[in-house]
Amino acid sequence: MKLRLLIFIAVTILLAGCSKKFDELSANPNSPESVPASLTLNGIENGINLRPWGPEQRWNQYALVNYNYYGNQEYNWSGATLYYTTLKNVIKMEEEAIKAGAKDLNPYSALGKFFRGYLFYEMTMRVGDLPLQEALKGTESLKPKYDTQKDIFIQILKWLTEANTDIIQLITSADNTLQGDFYFNNDLKKWQKAVNTFRLRVLIQLSKKEGEAGLNVKQDFAGIVSNKNNFPVMNDMTDNLQFIYVNPFNKYPTNPDNFGFDATRYNTSSTYLGLLTSIKDPRTFVTADPAGSKLKAGIAPSDHAAYVGASPAEDLADMSSKAGIDNGPGFVPGVYSFYGRKRYYSTYTAEPHIIIGYPEMCFNIAEAINRGWVTGDAEEWYKKGINASIGFYGIKEGVNTFYYIKAGGKVVESGDYIPYTVNFSFNDYYSQPMVKYSGNNTMGLEQILRQKYLAFFQNSGFEAYYNFRRTGLPAFAQGGSGTGNSGKIPKRFQYPGTERTTNGANLTEALQRQFAGNDDINAAMWIIK
Amino acid sequence: MVCLIISLSSLGQTTISGKVLSSKDQLPIPGVTVLIKGTNSGTATNAEGSFSVKAKAGDVLTFSGIGTESKELMIEADKMNYTVTLQQDSRAMNEVVVTALGIKKETKRLGYSVQEVKGADLVKAREPNAINGLVGKVAGLSIGASAEILGRPQVLLRGNNLNFFVVDGVPINSDTWNISPDDIESYTVLKGPTAAALYGNRAVNGAIIINTKKGTRDKRGFSVEFNSSTMLEKGFNAIPKVQDEYGPGDHGRYAFVDGRGGGLNDGDYDVWGPKFEGQLIPQYDGKRVKKANGGDSIVATPWIARGKDNLSRFIQTGLITTNNIAVASSNDKSDLRFSLTHSYQKGIVPNTELSSINFNSTLGHNFSEKLRFEANVNYNRQYTPNIPDVTYGPNSMIYNIILWGGADWDVDEMRNYWQPGKEGIQQIYAEYQRYNNPWFLAKEWLRGHYKNDFYGYTTLSYKINKNLEVLARTSITTYDLLRTEKFPYSATSYGREEARGDYREDVRKLFENNTELIVKYNKTFLKNFNVFALAGGNVRKMRFNSSFASTNYLNVPGIYTFANSRNPIIASNFSSEMLVTSAYGSLDLSYKNYLNINATVRADKSSAIPGAKVGTYPSVAVSTVVSDYVSLPQAISFLKLKGSYANVRDGGTSSYIGPSSYPIGYGSSYSTSYDGPTYSLVSKVYNTRLDYNNTSAAYYTDNLYDDISTAARTNYEAGFDIRFMKNRIGLDAIYFSYLDGPQIFRNPISQTTGYTALFINAAKYATRGFEVALNGNPVRNANFSWDVLLNWSTYKQTYVELPTDSILVGQLYVKEGDRLDIYQGAAFARTQDGQIINDGGGRPIPLPKNQLLGYSNPDWVWGLTNKLRYKNFNLTIQVDGRVGGEMENYVRRQSFRGGRHIETVQGEKGVARNQDYLGNKTWVGEGVKIVSGTPAFDAVTGAITNYKDLVFAPNDTKTFLQDYISRYNSQAEGNLMSKTFSKVREITLGYSLPASVLGNSFIKGATISFVGRNLFYLTDKKHKDVDIDQYAGTQTSSNLQTPTIKRYGFNINFVF
Repeated sequence: MKLRLLIFIAVTILLAGCSKKFDELSANPNSPESVPASLTLNGIENGINLRPWGPEQRWNQYALVNYNYYGNQEYNWSGATLYYTTLKNVIKMEEEAIKAGAKDLNPYSALGKFFRGYLFYEMTMRVGDLPLQEALKGTESLKPKYDTQKDIFIQILKWLTEANTDIIQLITSADNTLQGDFYFNNDLKKWQKAVNTFRLRVLIQLSKKEGEAGLNVKQDFAGIVSNKNNFPVMNDMTDNLQFIYVNPFNKYPTNPDNFGFDATRYNTSSTYLGLLTSIKDPRTFVTADPAGSKLKAGIAPSDHAAYVGASPAEDLADMSSKAGIDNGPGFVPGVYSFYGRKRYYSTYTAEPHIIIGYPEMCFNIAEAINRGWVTGDAEEWYKKGINASIGFYGIKEGVNTFYYIKAGGKVVESGDYIPYTVNFSFNDYYSQPMVKYSGNNTMGLEQILRQKYLAFFQNSGFEAYYNFRRTGLPAFAQGGSGTGNSGKIPKRFQYPGTERTTNGANLTEALQRQFAGNDDINAAMWIIK
Repeated sequence: MVCLIISLSSLGQTTISGKVLSSKDQLPIPGVTVLIKGTNSGTATNAEGSFSVKAKAGDVLTFSGIGTESKELMIEADKMNYTVTLQQDSRAMNEVVVTALGIKKETKRLGYSVQEVKGADLVKAREPNAINGLVGKVAGLSIGASAEILGRPQVLLRGNNLNFFVVDGVPINSDTWNISPDDIESYTVLKGPTAAALYGNRAVNGAIIINTKKGTRDKRGFSVEFNSSTMLEKGFNAIPKVQDEYGPGDHGRYAFVDGRGGGLNDGDYDVWGPKFEGQLIPQYDGKRVKKANGGDSIVATPWIARGKDNLSRFIQTGLITTNNIAVASSNDKSDLRFSLTHSYQKGIVPNTELSSINFNSTLGHNFSEKLRFEANVNYNRQYTPNIPDVTYGPNSMIYNIILWGGADWDVDEMRNYWQPGKEGIQQIYAEYQRYNNPWFLAKEWLRGHYKNDFYGYTTLSYKINKNLEVLARTSITTYDLLRTEKFPYSATSYGREEARGDYREDVRKLFENNTELIVKYNKTFLKNFNVFALAGGNVRKMRFNSSFASTNYLNVPGIYTFANSRNPIIASNFSSEMLVTSAYGSLDLSYKNYLNINATVRADKSSAIPGAKVGTYPSVAVSTVVSDYVSLPQAISFLKLKGSYANVRDGGTSSYIGPSSYPIGYGSSYSTSYDGPTYSLVSKVYNTRLDYNNTSAAYYTDNLYDDISTAARTNYEAGFDIRFMKNRIGLDAIYFSYLDGPQIFRNPISQTTGYTALFINAAKYATRGFEVALNGNPVRNANFSWDVLLNWSTYKQTYVELPTDSILVGQLYVKEGDRLDIYQGAAFARTQDGQIINDGGGRPIPLPKNQLLGYSNPDWVWGLTNKLRYKNFNLTIQVDGRVGGEMENYVRRQSFRGGRHIETVQGEKGVARNQDYLGNKTWVGEGVKIVSGTPAFDAVTGAITNYKDLVFAPNDTKTFLQDYISRYNSQAEGNLMSKTFSKVREITLGYSLPASVLGNSFIKGATISFVGRNLFYLTDKKHKDVDIDQYAGTQTSSNLQTPTIKRYGFNINFVF
């Protein structure tokens, strides 16, 4: 009797809620299982922006932190940040577009190829070989094999070529289905220029492999530059792929809010500021404030001698102590120049963060001509690049008014800035021996790379470092305790630690063929060999 | 013939009957053994305490029971009926405890582990939170009491968070603050899944069963009871010790201009500034004078330590009062009780408080002998306009006063906190970038909390016959919560640097209903063979909705409305619904006391588990009272053995839930009790959020799922209960083992797949431990008694099965057999003989990977209670603590780095600090420097791989102490702290007015007690800036906490 009763109750209760009800309640009402492709595009576009003034820009030796608590510029690199999860979103974006009725070839699939190329470039440049063919397949391929860096570059270039071809087709068919693109406001023509301009970056980074079989570095480069109809590239700064900061939702990383934290804790770097002052470059007056101790010594703010950056190799205890030296009332503290207050702290939207920019392209073409990959006038491109970058800082021919903050001044109060004028003549500037293009020779190459470095200030992610790694130019400071890694600039990041446990055999194989099995940050990868 | 009968009866035996009552309350004691001395014949008292035995005049009857004194009685001729009163021990074994579903069982028949605490033990030296009061009173239950108002205590049972509270058999949702101690008869802790098996997966970690007071035993049929407690909080147990010799600044330099970076280290400063020597330095309150060339400057004023003891001068005496009045009535038909409690707590942080009103009503009515109705409602309201948030950040007074505030300003001068002419808009403080004026913080940055908690049930039970009973019960538990935050203009915090004020509302509503039907069957066969069977079913429905909305800065200062938001409002919401149907059965078989078997089974079908698979959870418990059938040495008066097994599964739910999203980068995000679906196993979803320029962006999940089940737990227990010397000493010991798994295991997969984890069923963890309760009554007589209770427990958690040889946990690889509570953290590179290796700047080199620094769980936990009674006086002293475990002292870490820790001015550090101030690098850190070679580090372990290439020499590189500390104390290894501590938890000295004094007045009883709580806190002196009591589990770092305080007061109790 008891048993029957028990069974009866059990059955009744368990069936009380029908399965349908259970299934309905099991679904998460708070998260969608499908979204418009434009929403994923927004996320991906966010994901490809590396913020300025971050650690990358310290490793590029543009800016320095002197306050232990906030960090340092040591190159004690460990596991790299990779972008496979962003790439997964690229795949989902393409799927969602198709799900919503798009054709196989659609703007999302075309941009998807660009994002693949862009993100694989960002990743392989950090570590070397990486899974590509077998990657991004979820559970279908849990342990993807590593492709060689060379094969990755072949694929990157292929994607970028296809992206260009696809966009041509889309423009021809007047496809206007792209939505959610905050970089170019859904303008595929602009994207096309960015794709081709980026391809020039990739090719120039392959300069050490210009003769490599299976890659047609030189010819590809020439093919783009000489065929503007099929391969339109950027024409000016308005074509930049850049992240535009907007207040209040996307504030520029340095802004009035955080001046009180940064005031004396970050200072300029001699690698960057030293180059500027050595060629009497007007960008000095925009990106840096004069050093308090120099002003105290009576040096005028319009004199490049008033601008001093610290060596990234300097011991942090010394740098922080020197950056905070009391210069007495009326002078800002320290022996070093701080960042240009007017440009970087007086507003919330200092400048766009260039991801792929016109000045870089000019220097890349100049470099290609210098290297003999393309025929053309290297000096013309070199000058275009310089002018574009100087123009980016609002520096014009003739009298320019610059500003530095007065001691104790508020960054948001325009009355707290002390104006001074500097006469800028491009011709005078350009006629300096260090600046004037010396021809398609080593010196000329050094000049191109120096100007490219100056144009990369606080933008384009790791590009400044990648150029240094590839060419040694311009020279980075090293050898002191400030840069860590026993005074050496490393050549790569380690693979993420999780790869060892999750994909160990394939990682070991990749390490074996590249670095004799050792995940060494000081070992050279294929592209710079 | 008649003669023969008489002679037979006089020579032979006759039936003697009687009753055994407790001397305490004259209630019958069942199960007392009645033996004819010198023989084996005898009996035991039944449920009504009655016995009958065949004996003859002159025989001596011995009465002995578990938890009672023994007594002998000679049978007199002609007297056939006896009433025997026995004194019961404090922990009487014959008492019944309330177990799962509200079913009362005799303790000695239980094969699993439970421990009971009387409600009366928690209402004198009381905690505002009843659950905090259980600390040290139950072996295996470890409570980390939060020092913060409305802070939820960490309730750990055998290392698992316990958040399952059951009132009179009905599960309730509780934040632990809605439990009113005055209404509680007893707490029963069901120590594991076996004991709580009838609750299925909700009780996978055990349960706390709360039995409310009902009716009255008073002979008059009614009683009125009034209980009042008042306690003051004063005297620190744990408070950071700070230096008052150097003020704010950096490398000895400071000058105030605007407090936002315009001066010399005047914004977001450390406390590494100039020494207080009376020198003239521009300060925040210096007079401003116009400069000839426009602008103004601040007149420098003497630099002196105006702010010594700022924190202790800011903190005020706390107050806790609780008043309860209860009216109860009983007659043969009905019993009812009403109770009203008001409690008020004034925090030690100015302008903080908490009020709580609790209304409890229980009603029972017997319509007939067969039909009984019972109902209970409990309404609780918590309300406060402001509670403090001491979590690390500019919201915290500790952050502002201790870690990053110097002694250059006087907290009393901060009471008028508005700048003249800018009232309501701009605070006054010594710094304006990162920190806040403590008084401004206390008076203007207000966090309101308003919560209604309601639970109740109605039960109808019908006795079909004397063996069979049916019970139908429906219950609800629900809360609605409103949390508000008024963030004033000019206050700054992480991410709110524009300092333009904000207003937030966090709203949460939960409703749960359980409806169940239970059939009980109870019968004794063949005299000694008892069967108790039960079958039931339950339907559980719950719904939860929450929303969080915030302004994005305000337009008009001081107007806290969403319409006043300067930028678009930030809002989010979350909702969930769940249905669980369950069936369960329980079967108890017992043969005398020899053997008791309790088997249960429960089947759950839950919408929280995708696919709604039916989970079936069995349990078996066996116990036997060996002393009843085996002759043991005389010293052993009682011996019971017990063992049990259970298998349950996690319900796929989460115990707690936070706000729907928390766009705020500071303070603590408040968690409420939930026990609802997490949807964490629902794969293939996008996370959407407002991204670039406040437009929607979507990110696909990074997690993949196999078709998985929730984690299983297998529980084994074995133990014994032994008593010596006529039950004067008792030892209850249990060994338990949890085998958890296969878990829902977050199996990291190569990120190159596009995903970072594949959730699978894998890995097993074991928790194994002992719990011991030792009690004794060294002295017991009419005037004086002394009871001792010692609780002791220990457990270890280990990995017993892993999907691969080793798995990465944090940055460490663990393998089978390793402990779960590994504490890893940043560590120093060391030479092979253990010396710290310093870099070229003279600072320790940190290893690139975390190292094992210790284990975070305590080795063992103990509690010792002594209760002494002399005539009408009684004294209770409880001492408890934990031993072992390691964690990082975060207060030490930050107060060192900030330069405020007192040790930075003591000894060699003090000398070096003075030299820092003078601009000289003199500090030489311990250890070695590298003379040649470059250390290479293993990519996996972070260990140095090339010692052979390295040449060391004693470190002689001088650096600034400030920069050295900045490195040294930012590694966890530099701030290690043992979790060992002990506390004199409570002392209660009470006096009950004797009946002779009260006489026939309307007062039936009166007790006054002087009480003290947390009177002494003992731990390593170096770490007395943190009250370790709050970290009962695997925490590896302290947080900031309000200083902990001793509490003193009195309690009066009247019965009318």
